[in-house]
Amino acid sequence: MNVVVCVKQIPDPAAPPSLDPGTNNLIRAGKLILDDSDAYGVEMALQLVDKAGEGEVTLVSMTPNGETSGLRTALAMGAAKAILISDDSLAGTDALGTAKVLAAAIKRAEPDLILAATESTDGYTGTTPVQIAEILGLPSVTFAKKVEIDGGSLKVERQTEAGYDEVESPLPALVTVTAGVVEPRYPSFKGIMAAKSKPVETLTIADLGIDAGQVGAIGARQEITDVSASEERASGEIVVDEGDAHQRVIQFLEQLKVL
Amino acid sequence: MFEWSEEQLMVRDTIRRFIEAEVVPHIDELEHGDLPPYDIIRKLYATFGMDQMARDRFKIQLDRKRDGDAAESPVERAERQGDGGAAAMTLIPIVELCHYCPGIVTAMGVSVGLAAGTIMKQGTPAQMERWGLDLLTMDKVGAWAITEPDSGSDALGGMKSTARRDGDEYILNGNKTFITNGPYADTIVFYAKLDDGSDTPIRDRKVLTFVLDRGMPGLDQSEPFRKMGLHSSPTGELFLSDVRVGKDHLLGETEDEKKGSGRDSAKGNFVTERAGVAAMSLGLIEECLKLSVAYARDRMLWGQRIGDRQLIQLKLAKMEIARLNVQNLVFRHIELSAAGKSLTLAEASAMKLYSAQAASEVAMEAVQLFGGNGYMAEFRVEQLARDAKVFQIYAGTDEIQVTHIAKDLLNR
Ligand SMILES: Cc1cc2nc3c(=O)[nH]c(=O)nc-3n(C[C@H](O)[C@H](O)[C@H](O)COP(=O)(O)OP(=O)(O)OC[C@H]3O[C@@H](n4cnc5c(N)ncnc54)[C@H](O)[C@@H]3O)c2cc1C
Ligand SMILES: Cc1cc2nc3c(=O)[nH]c(=O)nc-3n(C[C@H](O)[C@H](O)[C@H](O)COP(=O)(O)OP(=O)(O)OC[C@H]3O[C@@H](n4cnc5c(N)ncnc54)[C@H](O)[C@@H]3O)c2cc1C
Repeated sequence: MNVVVCVKQIPDPAAPPSLDPGTNNLIRAGKLILDDSDAYGVEMALQLVDKAGEGEVTLVSMTPNGETSGLRTALAMGAAKAILISDDSLAGTDALGTAKVLAAAIKRAEPDLILAATESTDGYTGTTPVQIAEILGLPSVTFAKKVEIDGGSLKVERQTEAGYDEVESPLPALVTVTAGVVEPRYPSFKGIMAAKSKPVETLTIADLGIDAGQVGAIGARQEITDVSASEERASGEIVVDEGDAHQRVIQFLEQLKVL
Repeated sequence: MFEWSEEQLMVRDTIRRFIEAEVVPHIDELEHGDLPPYDIIRKLYATFGMDQMARDRFKIQLDRKRDGDAAESPVERAERQGDGGAAAMTLIPIVELCHYCPGIVTAMGVSVGLAAGTIMKQGTPAQMERWGLDLLTMDKVGAWAITEPDSGSDALGGMKSTARRDGDEYILNGNKTFITNGPYADTIVFYAKLDDGSDTPIRDRKVLTFVLDRGMPGLDQSEPFRKMGLHSSPTGELFLSDVRVGKDHLLGETEDEKKGSGRDSAKGNFVTERAGVAAMSLGLIEECLKLSVAYARDRMLWGQRIGDRQLIQLKLAKMEIARLNVQNLVFRHIELSAAGKSLTLAEASAMKLYSAQAASEVAMEAVQLFGGNGYMAEFRVEQLARDAKVFQIYAGTDEIQVTHIAKDLLNR
């Protein structure tokens, strides 16, 4: 059982983000970390491989600047190896371009199953995984809250607004998991020490046979035309009690028609 | 080394996440209640595979001991070839836990470092298997008992506990006090003077090391003391009246004072223990500094933040100086270990003396900077200040560190 997990390495969400004023793209120059959303996929993959008793977990990530910090975290959790696609011509790549690149890399690993998060923490279009499945001609099941492999087939409980659907699919397939699917483990000390010697294969788009015209800003069909600040939350009204505060509170509640 | 490596930072960040999820929610029970820390320590061990690492290390140590005592101790081997940076992996969790609960580190350090450490060093292979492994994995809780009501700083000389031979067995008597984990220990390393009926003055008699099991007839373990701080580390008394043990409980199963046994064993722990206190001080100082900087930014008086006042700035600057100095000392210890060298006793004493005093001063200044809030439990610096004080008392008081440093200087 070989599982590929798509992991996105993103700027630390705890630090204030900054946008490139020219392109409105998120600046990804500094240290990048493993997207928390992808920790669930990694954990799910490790558990499935463990249960199958054979196979391994391979990570696939597209990231600028050859950054591997986030990959090391996932390797420390227990993934066996990683494929990193990093290439200057990828600057400005949109979600479809990303899907093309990831699909080409995933193909090389010949997985039985591909896992991704439902949406990333920084871009959160939630469109990349299904586009990967489409490009690879594989079935995709989204919003998984439970994933099982039974013989050669996949069983998923798919979260819906009303409850969940039980879905079965042949393998190979692509599944996007939600945060509820499993509890990600902490990397063990041994895992952390082992992570630095695990193989990370770094590829360019030429290695994947992708034409530079299909990706990057040139190939992008999406463009960020405008970015505006979100509306500041209006500050509440402060009532200073001059003996009539209770009346004003009642008035306010009456206005809201809750009284 | 002037900063933590990428790998060390990964360990630090992972431990931080664990502490925030598993320790912080229990601080009230640990530090203001009576929750013993052992289940949390076990969870820490299981989560990071520290129990499995201990099992692997145990096997190597046991095999080496079995191969006859050409047995190099882990310390000796590290001295020969360096520890590959392993010291950092032990110290980082200590630093991080001391941001919140130095007591947890004390309870863990005494059980694993002192109790198990002594058994692994001095014990026979059978004794290592019988008591060592369960302590190293934290499955069982260990205590290490040397201090007595009438002798702390003068523990080896002034010790009154006795071991009297009776046929093939020994009869043990005496009281021990201030014993970390004493109330809950499953396994106790107990130091006593050999009473062989001769007229050797009691100060000069051989010091023997025994291992006791909870529940032995004649052994009483007190309730935890009420104390100034360090509440997450239970401390108590032990009372022995005619506790009868076979030779299998005497570490090494011999009365011969070999290198590393008896008096030597107690002293052999000094360097590790003192380096550990420096790491604990670092964590506590880092936390006080972080909390103080945030408070100095937020607290507005006379329309200004208190951080704009020079008297407050002086406090912050001194805290930062202490942090830098203690961190450098800790880094030096890590580098020396990686190079297969070790601090001398005098260096370790200097490091401990400086770090412990710095931690106490920083924490008390943090209380001052917080004003009335500093005196309130909610703002946490009062707990850290109470906890820091013990760094100047245990593992050798400040005054004893001074004597060790001075002795070395004057004997050169
Ligand atoms: C206009 C535009 C410009 C862009 N410029 C750049 C750029 O300069 N440099 C750059 O690196 N990217 C760039 N991107 C790509 C972008 O960061 C995302 O990788 C891509 O759009 C996926 O979108 P998302 O974050 O919404 O992922 P979602 O579809 O929300 O992601 C769902 C899941 O898919 C997987 N996934 C998504 N992206 C990746 C990835 N990159 N690697 C591995 N797994 C992934 C993860 O499991 C993720 O949780 C740009 C995107 C746009 C729209
Ligand atoms: C929380 C806590 C946990 C502890 N855990 C353990 C444990 O697990 N196992 C254990 O065996 N012990 C433990 N101890 C005991 C600790 O090691 C002793 O308290 C310490 O060594 C000091 O001994 P004492 O209390 O008898 O003080 P004393 O030795 O009585 O010292 C009194 C004062 O005299 C000073 N003094 C002593 N000798 C000299 C000198 N030569 N010159 C100048 N001044 C001197 C001391 O510095 C001190 O200020 C613990 C103590 C505490 C507080």
